[in-house]
Amino acid sequence: MKKPIFIISILVILTVSLAIAKAVFSNVLSTSGVEASKIESEIDRYKTENLLLMEKLYFKKSLHNVASKAGELGFEESKSQLVIAETEVLTRFLPHVAKR
Amino acid sequence: MLQSDELRYKFIFLALFLVFVAIAVRLFYWQVVRASHLYVLAQSQYETALKVIPRRGEIKTIDGYPIAANKVSYLVFANPKEIKDKKETVKTLAPILEADKASISAQLALDRFWVPLKHNADFETKKIITSLKLSGIGFEEKYTRFYPEASLSAHLLGFVGKNDAGEDNGYFGLEGYYDRLLKGKEGYFVSIQDALGKPIISKTSKNSTHLDGSNLILSIERPIQFLVEKKLKEGVETYNAESGMIGIINPKTGQVIALASYPAFDPSKYYKYSEDLFRNPFISDTYEPGSTLKPIVMAGAFEEGLVKPDTKCPICDRPLTMGEYEIRTWNNEYRKGSNMVDVIVHSDNIGMVYVAQKLGVDRMISTLSKFGLGNLTYIDSQGEVAPNLKSKNAWYPVDLATVGFGQGISVTPIQLLTAFSAIANNGKMMQPQIVAKVESAKGEVSKIAPKVLGTPISEKTAKVMTEILVTAVNKGEAKFARLKGYRIAGKTGTASIPVKGHYDPNKTITSFIGFAPADNPRFAMLVILNKPTVAIFGAETAAPIFFDIAKDLLTYYGIPPSE
Repeated sequence: MKKPIFIISILVILTVSLAIAKAVFSNVLSTSGVEASKIESEIDRYKTENLLLMEKLYFKKSLHNVASKAGELGFEESKSQLVIAETEVLTRFLPHVAKR
Repeated sequence: MLQSDELRYKFIFLALFLVFVAIAVRLFYWQVVRASHLYVLAQSQYETALKVIPRRGEIKTIDGYPIAANKVSYLVFANPKEIKDKKETVKTLAPILEADKASISAQLALDRFWVPLKHNADFETKKIITSLKLSGIGFEEKYTRFYPEASLSAHLLGFVGKNDAGEDNGYFGLEGYYDRLLKGKEGYFVSIQDALGKPIISKTSKNSTHLDGSNLILSIERPIQFLVEKKLKEGVETYNAESGMIGIINPKTGQVIALASYPAFDPSKYYKYSEDLFRNPFISDTYEPGSTLKPIVMAGAFEEGLVKPDTKCPICDRPLTMGEYEIRTWNNEYRKGSNMVDVIVHSDNIGMVYVAQKLGVDRMISTLSKFGLGNLTYIDSQGEVAPNLKSKNAWYPVDLATVGFGQGISVTPIQLLTAFSAIANNGKMMQPQIVAKVESAKGEVSKIAPKVLGTPISEKTAKVMTEILVTAVNKGEAKFARLKGYRIAGKTGTASIPVKGHYDPNKTITSFIGFAPADNPRFAMLVILNKPTVAIFGAETAAPIFFDIAKDLLTYYGIPPSE
């Protein structure tokens, strides 16, 4: 006779405890939305900053920028691109060079 | 007494009953009849739905550098009802937004809660306006296409404009061809909030089904593309040409290494340029190829066994008369006893007429078709065209003769380069492709396998033709420009331009097509200059540009001289 009363008491206490726990957690979590919102804003801000930095980085790494910086620093491209292979052509196109 | 009490009870009972019935009816009305309306109303109070615009995929060169990326931009908007001093706001904003005072003033005068003031404002502009703390001014963050290398590969890329619905849409080039893949999928984000508008964490959001666009990884090599564009611009200016274009592909895979046209446009400011510049002429313009077609026709005749390299040309000692037409060589020089090697080396038109006549109309059409002329190459870029070959019954004897030396037939540069690459690739013709890999938003990478378009000639014919083309470079008209020590196969081209039923005697399209190293080709290249005026022959204009670039490419790939 005593046993069922004990089990029922335990169940009642458990139910009440769980209900209280749920109420406490819900209460705490419901105000965390503001925090979550702040964190999301921070994430968005960092994402935007990352994109802005990427934009700057891509521009710095662009060949147009590298070539122009190289030019400013005195780099000159070699102009001896063509190989004159035939003497008769030299005579035809550059007679003063062929005479040498 | 009892009777009156009973009556009172009944009356109160009836009154209460009627009140309950009224409440029940009202509840039925709100909970059943108006349920859906109230549900929507409630949702609008505790839910905020936001459209999630997917990020457009990037377009990267083979080294992973994005030549088309996304940058943050802002839509500056205003709520005119919240602005107290509109005159002062206009005066402050106009110089910052670089807009007319009148247009901002007109927007603020509207009886609306939201008016746009400026699209695509940059971060600095936003920062300045934010620091002013103006009431009623807000910002919406967006992504805008950004091209870090400016106009590099403009024709290859195309641009992103707006469609009829005001949404971003890709036009021309890769932006147009791969628009759906780059665009991704739009989604919605639903946030749940309390009565004060603060988000509730337990149900912060519902599913968002958006999917960012995929990235395209091209076979384009950025340093080569940069070099080619620079050399092309210099070439067009040096030879005072109207325009020019260069295409370089890997003949073994068909992958495009560089593709450039000049003049070009800036894809981020496309609206400032003429629409005529948007088309990629390398795939969309047709021209008569002239002598650069001779190796294709000659290879077809070798393949059919109609001529051999040592076959003598019996008609090459004089100009050829066909009805009312007289066909001459480009320099009006005639060589008695020329063989087929000489015909290509000296770019002999009469010799090619002999070859064309040997082929006949049927085999000529078959040869050209096998090399893909008359068909699309299916390059993965928007705007490719394929001029049709004439039907068999439309060929006159003079047409057959002129097609032999590349006149009276139209091709696109990409068709010619694809066909010529078959000679470089032991007879196998590969489909040209610009995109090598597609990278999904989740990071999954799919490689695009090379595709064979056909095998127009055998390996043996390809090798014979290669040797003849090496001789053409070493002993032909462009020999002064060749690279010493390297075996390069190539052919010059000088094509007349048809104008109102005849050919313009003063204007030409000059070109040079070739591949290197001849024995194990790493690249095939076509250089075209449109109407150069300083010189009018391919040997004097396109060939020097070809060898100039080839020298840098051989150095870039670390290929030593072989001779």
